[in-house]
Amino acid sequence: MNAGPALEVRGLSIKFGDFTAVDDVSFSVKRGEIFGFLGANGAGKTTTIRMLCGLLLPTSGSATVGGLDFSDGGKGIKGKVGYMSQKFTLYNDLTVGENLDFAAGLRKLSPAYALRRRRELFDLIAFDSPLSTMVSSLPGGVKQELSLAAAMLHDPEIVFLDEPTAGVSPASRARFWALIRKVTELGKTVIVTTHYMDEAEQCGRIALMRTGKLIALGSPAELKGAAFPGPMVELDFNGPAPAAALGGLGKAAGLLELSPHGMRWHAAFRDRPAMEAALAALPPGASRAVIEPSLEDVFIRLVEGAER
Amino acid sequence: MKRTLLAFIRKEFAQALRDPRMKLILFVMPMIQMTVFGLALSSEIKNIKLASVYAPSDAAARRLAQRFTASGWFLPVAAEGLAPEDLVVSGAADAALVFPAGGFARQAARGRGGVQLLVDGTSVTRARSVEAYARAIFAAHAAAEAGLPVSAAPFGFDVRIIYNPEMESPVFMVPGVMGMIVCLVTIILTSMSLTRERELGTFETIVSAPLENYEILLGKTLPYIVLGLANAALVIAAGFFIFGVPVRGDLWRLFSAALAFVITTVSVGTLISTVSKNQQQAMLGGFIFLFPAVLMSGIMYPVENMPALLKPVVYANPLYYFTTLLRNILLKGGDHAVFVFNMSALAAMAVAAGAAAYGRFRQTLN
Repeated sequence: MNAGPALEVRGLSIKFGDFTAVDDVSFSVKRGEIFGFLGANGAGKTTTIRMLCGLLLPTSGSATVGGLDFSDGGKGIKGKVGYMSQKFTLYNDLTVGENLDFAAGLRKLSPAYALRRRRELFDLIAFDSPLSTMVSSLPGGVKQELSLAAAMLHDPEIVFLDEPTAGVSPASRARFWALIRKVTELGKTVIVTTHYMDEAEQCGRIALMRTGKLIALGSPAELKGAAFPGPMVELDFNGPAPAAALGGLGKAAGLLELSPHGMRWHAAFRDRPAMEAALAALPPGASRAVIEPSLEDVFIRLVEGAER
Repeated sequence: MKRTLLAFIRKEFAQALRDPRMKLILFVMPMIQMTVFGLALSSEIKNIKLASVYAPSDAAARRLAQRFTASGWFLPVAAEGLAPEDLVVSGAADAALVFPAGGFARQAARGRGGVQLLVDGTSVTRARSVEAYARAIFAAHAAAEAGLPVSAAPFGFDVRIIYNPEMESPVFMVPGVMGMIVCLVTIILTSMSLTRERELGTFETIVSAPLENYEILLGKTLPYIVLGLANAALVIAAGFFIFGVPVRGDLWRLFSAALAFVITTVSVGTLISTVSKNQQQAMLGGFIFLFPAVLMSGIMYPVENMPALLKPVVYANPLYYFTTLLRNILLKGGDHAVFVFNMSALAAMAVAAGAAAYGRFRQTLN
């Protein structure tokens, strides 16, 4: 295995007619990394992933995936990566065994190799139901784990997961993320898209996408630091916020961001003195606490802030 | 390649044979259609109620009337009490045979016999059949009774057959129905199966494997070619055992005709799937192809009688060639010239449809 990056993307763009779905995206992913794509629906996450899996050919730009490029129409890349799309990757009307046999046939794996890989992957995902189980009868979380196993049957270097935990229970989501970490411990690179902020927190690095552009890239801590260089306070007015107080706060010098979170408000400032000055002007009844910004705050500031 | 194709075949078979709806389409529907089209849609008309009106003393007239009854197509009904026209109008009889009041034999001997046939024209089909039967019976009668020269037939019908020139029977109908069933099953199954993969998203998984386009296309169509051939064998066997449709020609001719036809229809199914967003659209697209294909195939209506404007449609219809081949091979034992001509046309269509399907399929992959 060579030591180069798992993924190297330079100025990747794709257009569908007049619509630019992915616009000049560049990044690189190290081997063994969990790399997350965060963004709203239609931000271009899935399209980016589909290009990097060799399913779509870019309009311009270049990418190497596992050391290979698109010069052969994506075929080489397809052999190096595993892809779990956000829709069904398994057939509900087939058994577990039939699904995995079909996946093995698609990848032209020899029966002996497929059998060995199946055992390894069943160990990995702790699957112990009989092979004759119909996929339709499995719970959602198990289905997703099995989809991952099917996507990894040919032992790919890089695994692309497009919203793998959409629609499964919180407990299953936690299990699936534990599984993703196990996969990277095996030396695989995992690229994952998600809507969930708590999942994004678990990624090594996150690429934030908006309308086809990559607007921020870094570890969760780096993103928070870049978006919020100063402190953040959570304000609780113990009821509806008084309009005068909010108006005053909104005009305070050094305020970076003021956003509602349920009944509470998050206010971010350029630095500590600016925060103290602004908080002194608030009515005494309001409780205040300095908090660590979450990725949700980052998302609101970078993605939604840019839309205002 | 081989491994991938086998995987596809196993998967499609498992899916098709597990789905109760698919099983219904594959095995039960053909049987019902064979029965319905083979028996109920036969255009052979029987049990025609015939009233014969003649003087009791007219022996010649009685002999002709008896010949009508003896033919098996006509049921005699009592003619007493009502005028012949009223018999037909009231529905008591489907047809009335009215002999001249002066005696049939005497009139006929003079060469100007005036026998009138009143026919209920509500059903054109039935009326035309009655005419055709009556003419045939009278010709036979004239020949049998040597005294009546055929040329001097005492009634002259102006017979124009606008329906089937052949007197169809289930044996003639069933090969056409076989072609129709194979057409229906392959087009619907292929287009539905491909659009279902797209709809569910499993198609993404298939194209994410490093496969050539033709491998994916073959993988998705070959199982249905095999199923289509199995279905063809099933309906031919059912025709043989249930309807007594003979298999007089060579099996290899039958097989090659079925293969070329199934390749064509599976390709058409693939083409339909490339323009369908979901299974409902695929189903609709299938029927949009099927209705003209069936109507313009010569299965129900003879091609010879179609307007010149529509004939090109007939000659572009794979089902027309397949039906012709099936009738030729099953019933006539396979006339070589007919086989070569129709088989070449069908093979050319299979190649053209296959190429078009491949072209469209490749475009829709990206």
